[in-house]
Amino acid sequence: MKILSLMTVFLVGAALIYGTLDMPKWGDPQSPASTHVSPYYLNHSLEDTATPNVVTSVLADYRGYDTFGETVVIFTAGMACILLLKAGRKRRGNGHV
Amino acid sequence: MFEFIISHYNYWMYIGLMMVGFYAMMVKRNLVKKIIGMNIFQSAIILFYISTSVKKGASVPILEHAHEGHGAVAHAVDVMQYANPLPHVLMLTAIVVMVATMGVALAVAIMIYKRYHTLEEDEIIMAMKRG
Amino acid sequence: MILSFDLILLLFVFICAIAAITIRDLLSAVVVLGAYSFFMCLLWTEMAAVDVAFTEASVSAGIGTVLMIGAVSKTKRRSND
Repeated sequence: MKILSLMTVFLVGAALIYGTLDMPKWGDPQSPASTHVSPYYLNHSLEDTATPNVVTSVLADYRGYDTFGETVVIFTAGMACILLLKAGRKRRGNGHV
Repeated sequence: MFEFIISHYNYWMYIGLMMVGFYAMMVKRNLVKKIIGMNIFQSAIILFYISTSVKKGASVPILEHAHEGHGAVAHAVDVMQYANPLPHVLMLTAIVVMVATMGVALAVAIMIYKRYHTLEEDEIIMAMKRG
Repeated sequence: MILSFDLILLLFVFICAIAAITIRDLLSAVVVLGAYSFFMCLLWTEMAAVDVAFTEASVSAGIGTVLMIGAVSKTKRRSND
């Protein structure tokens, strides 16, 4: 079982290393990720949002609904934690009664 | 060949990190160890995404001289001077979701411990088979 | 990005990850995981992702470690593997 898991791990690792052979060089300014969409945000965020920090302007202005969805996720996780821990306490109380 | 290794070794290190997390998730029998492995796995993925935003010679994505003119004056921004901000934004969201996932997983582990009085996976499965 | 600094930090992160999954004492493993998160935070500062770095330092290394220590203190501290 352990051997099988180890083989799976190394198989996945080998497949991913094969995939990195086509990746652009690390820190290459001409890589597709840094030439395609992001120059728009860097050029326009100051006149659109008047915020010098581009990360926060994208996080809260351009992708505000995305951040809202993230808060929904955190709220759901917090509610799940509270409900799980509370349910355990209640069940034990019932068991004693 | 040497230049290829210099420009790609960090991807291989992330894959190694991801393999460590994957191994811990699959082989370790303790539930907290599995959650630690999940944390390492997710960190490795986030590290990979952040590393796509790196540009050689670029600085943090905060615009310089932004508040010199009053109001939003359109400066000519040298794009090559700043790192790519989009992966940062997306991974900011992913980190918070990672911790939320970990909290729920730990709550479930505490519940399992309360019912079976053990955190070892094989003992839990034996106790479940017993009824 | 500084290549040698990046390589050293990656090695530290890797060592911390290996240590976190091999230590049998769960509390020690959790503390090593906190150290892993802080090295990750340094790595991101080095990659010019400062917002991600301080989110990681506060959320993953702070709240995550606190949650883990709480869970370990409520359950068992020893692990079999």
